[in-house]
Amino acid sequence: MNHASIISIQHMTKRFPVGKGEFTALNDINLEFGEGEFAGLVGPSGSGKTTLLNIIGSLDTPSEGTATVMGQDISTLSHKASALLRNQHIGFIFQSYNLLPVYTVFENVEFALLLQNRSASERKKAVLDALEWVGLTDKMTSKPAMLSGGEGQRVAIARAMVKRPKILLADEPSANLDAQNSHQILKTMKALNRELKTTFIFSTHDEKVMQYLDRIISLEDGKVVSDVEKAAAAL
Amino acid sequence: MLSFKIAVKNLIGAGLKTWLNVFVLSLSFVMIIFYNSMIDGWNKQAETDTIAWEIGQGQIWEKDYDPYDPYSLIDAHAVIPPELKNQATKGDVVPILITQASVYPQGRMQNILLKGIPTDQQLLDLPTAELSDEGETTPAIIGRRMSEATKLKQGDRVLLRWRDKNGTFDAQEILITKVFENNVPSIDAGQVWIPLASLQEMTGMTDEATLLVVGDDYQPVADANWEFKSIGFLLADMRAIIETKKGSAAIMYLLLLGIALLAIFDTQVLSIFRRQKEIGTYVALGMTRGQVVKLFTIEGGAHSLFAAALGALYGIPLFIYLNKVGIPMPAGTDSAGLPISSEIIPVYGLGLVVGTILLVVLSATIVSYMPARKIARMKPTEALKGKIQ
Repeated sequence: MNHASIISIQHMTKRFPVGKGEFTALNDINLEFGEGEFAGLVGPSGSGKTTLLNIIGSLDTPSEGTATVMGQDISTLSHKASALLRNQHIGFIFQSYNLLPVYTVFENVEFALLLQNRSASERKKAVLDALEWVGLTDKMTSKPAMLSGGEGQRVAIARAMVKRPKILLADEPSANLDAQNSHQILKTMKALNRELKTTFIFSTHDEKVMQYLDRIISLEDGKVVSDVEKAAAAL
Repeated sequence: MLSFKIAVKNLIGAGLKTWLNVFVLSLSFVMIIFYNSMIDGWNKQAETDTIAWEIGQGQIWEKDYDPYDPYSLIDAHAVIPPELKNQATKGDVVPILITQASVYPQGRMQNILLKGIPTDQQLLDLPTAELSDEGETTPAIIGRRMSEATKLKQGDRVLLRWRDKNGTFDAQEILITKVFENNVPSIDAGQVWIPLASLQEMTGMTDEATLLVVGDDYQPVADANWEFKSIGFLLADMRAIIETKKGSAAIMYLLLLGIALLAIFDTQVLSIFRRQKEIGTYVALGMTRGQVVKLFTIEGGAHSLFAAALGALYGIPLFIYLNKVGIPMPAGTDSAGLPISSEIIPVYGLGLVVGTILLVVLSATIVSYMPARKIARMKPTEALKGKIQ
């Protein structure tokens, strides 16, 4: 791997209580992600893709093993420290966009910067840049309800990218989009990945997304069954 | 400040639901201030009138006098000490002699308190100058309530029967020279005022009095037979009754406040249930759970600030209007014996307004915090899926 490692997962297992027993969602996972990667976790529903993304995003913790993100062990982080990690270094894109309905496009994108206590002028510049990346400067005063699915997801990308995170986690970002919109947002994300050196990790089972990935990690029943880099696969 | 900004934005974004809650809560604000200002106004008017008509700057009681025991009147009289008599001559104190008696308006007997007061006194608002015209018949003044109860009018003559200091009955006619309007039942109902000199002569209690009302220039006199009673002491019962009234009025507005708070609580519970994804998104964007709890608490609490603003919008003109015209009291309100005028001018104190705002803001914040605590126990991954039941 050519990239400097920013995510390291070692012998990580995640179990969830189910009734009186337990369900193992991830089983002895070992993975490394480097800076500027454009990788995807693929696999059927229930294979553990979203659980892995949640742990990388410090929204959840491993049951066993370690997950180190930006040099911080997720298991040992306090609520405050994990919130700070997300606030400063991690962006999220969700399948259903999760835009805040009472805010305009501009305010939705600005929200992440408000949490970083950036100045108003700094926020304005950064938001306008982010909206320009995704081609939505003309929609900045619209509310989410007035946007199409593709536009909504582009706002979500802008919101995730506006703080220039080191890691961007996208959970089924194209699931609610048609083919044209899917390609458009993936091209946008690929361009941002190149321009900003942000590490993108997708969770997907969409073939359209897989076309764009540089690295495909296949999960099945909570285990990594293959980890292939596109360049290596081409050889 | 950030949480407040976001909370206000969310509240405004919630639209009609917010404004309905805010309207009900604003009614609580206005009602609390209205009721309390009315009772404070009543209290102030009652105290002012009682001081002006009955108690002055305090009273000096003959040691046996007990206003709640009419039988004490038999013994509750004594010669006015010379120092007090001097002050009475200057008008700094007003001696009053009280005895039990009966009048016979239209042939029916009615027990009364017969009170003697100097005709030239200026300390109390009682129109005692009307007693100075002494013809053959002893002049008497009565209040409106006594007039209504006995059907006695100005110019009427009525038979008065009393006992002198030796217990011997005597009787004579008195002439009603004035029926005076007043707001103080305790100087009116069941009472007849005649000149002090006449009563002293009728009862054989020369130079005696039951109590003395003191004015601003009164010089304290130490005498074992006479006890000074301060304004605070003399108003204590009335204040206690008005406080009780305040308490019963509180039930009404606390009920309204309770409904408004229940609406906020309900909105918060629903809001937290419906907005799970939003809560998850806040956490994913980097807010701590504590910050999200704070945000939802402020959102609920901010209802009360909006309500204060809305309440001020229609409440201030209403209060200014009421302050100008007064709050009319229905006839017979004062029959319970408390001083009350036909209209009360409400009193809006800073303490009342600030206290009301604090009460409503604090209670709205508490009811908002209670359901918001649930957020702290939410798993963000479940919240993002909107799966929490």
